[in-house]
Amino acid sequence: MRYWLNVLLLLLLTLVLVPAAGAATDAATCLGCHGSMEGAVNVNQEKFSKSVHGSMNDCTMCHMALKGAQHQGLAGGKPDKAVTELAAAISPKSKIDPIAGAACVNCHPDVYASYKASVHGRNVIDKKSSDGPICISCHGSPHYIQPKSSKESAVNHFNVVQTCASCHEEKMMIEKYGFTPNLVERYKESFHGRKLKVGHGGAPSCADCHGAHDIKSDKDPSSPVVGANKIKTCSKCHPGATEKFVAAITHKPLHPIAHFSEIALIILTVGTFIFIIIHVLLDIFADIRDRLFRKGGSNE
Amino acid sequence: MNKSIPTEIERFDLSARIQHIILFTSFLVLAFTGWGLKYAYQEPASAWIRFWGGARSAGIIHRVAGIILLMDFIYHQFYILNLFRKKDLSLTIVPMPKDLRDLIQNFMYYLGLTKERPSFGKFSYLQKFDYWAVYWGMMIIGTSGFFLTYPVMVSSIFPTWTLAWIWDVIFTMHSDEALLAIVFIFIIHFYSEHLKSDVFPMSWLWLTGRMSVDQLKHHHPEEYERLFGEKKNK
Repeated sequence: MRYWLNVLLLLLLTLVLVPAAGAATDAATCLGCHGSMEGAVNVNQEKFSKSVHGSMNDCTMCHMALKGAQHQGLAGGKPDKAVTELAAAISPKSKIDPIAGAACVNCHPDVYASYKASVHGRNVIDKKSSDGPICISCHGSPHYIQPKSSKESAVNHFNVVQTCASCHEEKMMIEKYGFTPNLVERYKESFHGRKLKVGHGGAPSCADCHGAHDIKSDKDPSSPVVGANKIKTCSKCHPGATEKFVAAITHKPLHPIAHFSEIALIILTVGTFIFIIIHVLLDIFADIRDRLFRKGGSNE
Repeated sequence: MNKSIPTEIERFDLSARIQHIILFTSFLVLAFTGWGLKYAYQEPASAWIRFWGGARSAGIIHRVAGIILLMDFIYHQFYILNLFRKKDLSLTIVPMPKDLRDLIQNFMYYLGLTKERPSFGKFSYLQKFDYWAVYWGMMIIGTSGFFLTYPVMVSSIFPTWTLAWIWDVIFTMHSDEALLAIVFIFIIHFYSEHLKSDVFPMSWLWLTGRMSVDQLKHHHPEEYERLFGEKKNK
């Protein structure tokens, strides 16, 4: 009897220790290696578990097509047409695992639909540009993805300007795509940009006016910042906005008149400073001189 | 010394002193709350804004202080009109060609080119400058501040051809002239009324409104002459 009990216990232990074929792709198994590997294939277990995707325990949900002998038998679902198409489009950009980079669309089909029609999406999918943004370009690694409300999220209200700037401020990109030069700089100098910087939740970031996944080119008449749409967009915060009012924000380089009046004001300000500082210093000098060398001079 | 000459004279009446207190309180609040936005990208801007309860409340405080300053300024115009009506208004605050001569003479005195200090009236050229600087500030900073508070309403009065630059000009006017005002006050005003050796640590004039006749004779000899000169000769 006792012998059989021991056998049963050992069998049970074996069952626990050796993962069954079905459970072989759970996160713990993968992290057994990837948690301690160096470089791009490393996944930080702690950060992963704290991320929005941390509760997803099946790595092959996204990593559907794993390569190499070490991954033998670890196959997930078959990627569908949308994923394969997007994976093909992003393969010049997402070199390690394009299928995984495209797998976002499985759970986020609505976002994908608007991205696909956006200027970013068309650039990546239709034109196959290797420098167009894919999901992870803005959102960062899906392993560590944080909710938008988190301060760590790259697309958080207060961080998204820097995220957009990572391309829109790049000289190479400005030249290639004809972006307005110094556009981010001009935004940051503006009231909107300054208010956002000092933590005003109501100040608009890029996405509040331009949209996010559905972003349009400024040559596209359906863009929220073109023509009559711009009036509607500005009215979200400025009720009663008119065509004349919305002309205030363009992010275009400073107009020469504004530039020269700024210089004139700086000259006026600096000139006044210099004058009053000299005046005060001379007054101090004369005061000391009179007290030391002209007895009674300052009391008379 | 003639006995009819008092030891003190009233330089600023109670209303003027209260106007001054409201003026500098609202001015300082405006400067402190606006500073955080002007230097939003220089630390410790965020800590500075937090002190005012965050960006939203700093903005509200800034606007309220602006309205108070504007009211104070408007009240001052009525105060002057009232003085005029009572024929109590002296025009000693109005800049005159003499002020330019005083300025030149003062610099010559500083440099030892003349032993005579300029003989100031009730207000020296620097005090006149200080007074009229408020008008300049109200015109430039006040107007632009009003524009920036009501951009939708105000934009309708701008001609279309100005729209490409007018807001940048307004914004620069507001922020640069505010800086000018702050630095001007902190240098000239604090020097003359606090740091200067004969008033240090503070001239009490802003609270008492009174100035000793000795001070008056020394700093504003022409005013002294005007007030007591004839009596003295009798």
